Amino acid sequence: MAHALNSFHSLGTPLERMHPITKIVAVLALGLSALLWPDFTLGAALVLVLVVVAFLSKLGHPFMKLILGFGVPVAVMLLFIQGGYSSRNVTIIADWGFVRFGLEGIEHAAKLVTTLLVFLGSFYLMNKTTYAGRLVAALTQVGVSSKIGYLILASLNVVPQMQLRLAVIQQAQNARGLDTQGGLVARLKAYIPILGPVVLSSLTDAQERGMTLETRGFGIDGVRRTSYVQVHARRADFVVGCGLLLFLIMVAVLSVMWHCGIIPLPVLIGGSR
Amino acid sequence: MLSVETRNLEYRYGSGHRALKGVNLSLQGNDPVAIIGQNGAGKTTLVKHFNGILRPTSGNVLINGVDVNERSTARWAGTVGYVFQNPDDQLFLETVRKELEFGPLQMGLDERVIADRLERISGLVGLDDKLDVHPFDLTATEKKFCTIGAVLMMEPGIVVFDEPTCGQDMAGNRRLEQIIKTLARQNRLCITISHDMKFVTRNFRRVVVMNQGNVLVDGDVDEVFSQPDVLRRSFVAPPPITKVGRAAGLKETVFTVEGLMDAVKRQKESEV
Repeated sequence: MAHALNSFHSLGTPLERMHPITKIVAVLALGLSALLWPDFTLGAALVLVLVVVAFLSKLGHPFMKLILGFGVPVAVMLLFIQGGYSSRNVTIIADWGFVRFGLEGIEHAAKLVTTLLVFLGSFYLMNKTTYAGRLVAALTQVGVSSKIGYLILASLNVVPQMQLRLAVIQQAQNARGLDTQGGLVARLKAYIPILGPVVLSSLTDAQERGMTLETRGFGIDGVRRTSYVQVHARRADFVVGCGLLLFLIMVAVLSVMWHCGIIPLPVLIGGSR
Repeated sequence: MLSVETRNLEYRYGSGHRALKGVNLSLQGNDPVAIIGQNGAGKTTLVKHFNGILRPTSGNVLINGVDVNERSTARWAGTVGYVFQNPDDQLFLETVRKELEFGPLQMGLDERVIADRLERISGLVGLDDKLDVHPFDLTATEKKFCTIGAVLMMEPGIVVFDEPTCGQDMAGNRRLEQIIKTLARQNRLCITISHDMKFVTRNFRRVVVMNQGNVLVDGDVDEVFSQPDVLRRSFVAPPPITKVGRAAGLKETVFTVEGLMDAVKRQKESEV
């Protein structure tokens, strides 16, 4: 029995009650701030903030898994490539013979990684704490066309749906004598024949759903729709949203001013102009 | 001797829903058995234990005396055949022929044996002239028979059908009846979940009624359908002709027009 198709499970946290648009604003504001700031310190600070928010939202464990699972390999890779071979490198801090690590490249890599993590982490938190239906309802309320809304909803649902289907097909294969447990080779061999029907049936599913929607009047133009899911913006959502935008504007102004040489920033590690 | 036995079988889904609440059931021999009951009664959950697709949360399932937990589902496939409700979940190869040959090939059977079975079984399920068609180009009915054929090709001693009559036309139902009779003749145990009471009363002597994760009644078809209060509790409606017979005050439980007419005649004679 399939209950919730998207990856959302209600945990009753404040972040869950936040207006979906505020959360979208948060993802953009935090991510762009980390990107605009001349060095990696702001990004690193924001990652820490996101970790705290994740723990407050009872998502600390999976969040850390994501951050470390993605962050560590990417950081190692980027530190090696940028640190060893970036054209910005002037100050050499280590020499391993075949590669010489430059401070500038390492700093650039650190900024890339923290910015990526801020985007990824905030998007993950938004996704995990927002019921997809509510997100789409909020988007259509602010004027996004319902067709685009459906597109977002459908793409958010496609992965969990495929996972469900995969599980059922695997059961059916087991029932016909194909072992999908076993070692890596057995698993791979079992996966190949599954892919065909999974992809094909998702396509026919999408087509059928499209036809169903049409027969229920989804394509009617020029009508103001009533929404089954109502999203109300509270004062707190507005305040948080404005705060985030202000933060972004402040970061942007400071960064531009630093860039033009108007002000020196107090703690600046290896920012490059 | 073929047998399926469950002892205090309990199953709880990940969501916490307790789908089976201590089922004790013993199915033996080659008399086909029907499992009926309302949606959500636990029918599919129960039969998915017979080849280990689901594993008991507590209690035991014994297949021919062997605990189901001792083997993987793939290893049970040759003993217990399972035909899923939705054929789209089961067909994954390019031709009907490959679908039918898949199971026996997995079991490592001889090519000659497979060819022989293919001829017999493709005829039985009515797909002998569609062997080179892609399963996705079959009609819904044919797809269902393709999945049935794919399972029968492994010649399992126990065959489970989950809702085989769903979406079938008259010809399909007739073919199914033929298949169920053939299985009994070949000394195999056929267990079928169905909502179609006409189909059940026509083809099965033994009926198991499930309700809310328990077996409510288990017995001869006449006996089960002569207990209106039990049927009402399990939300199962007997076939219309049975209701007519009961409303007319017949002592026997009837399932066919001929049966009704005979019973009426007999009752009249006894009254004279």
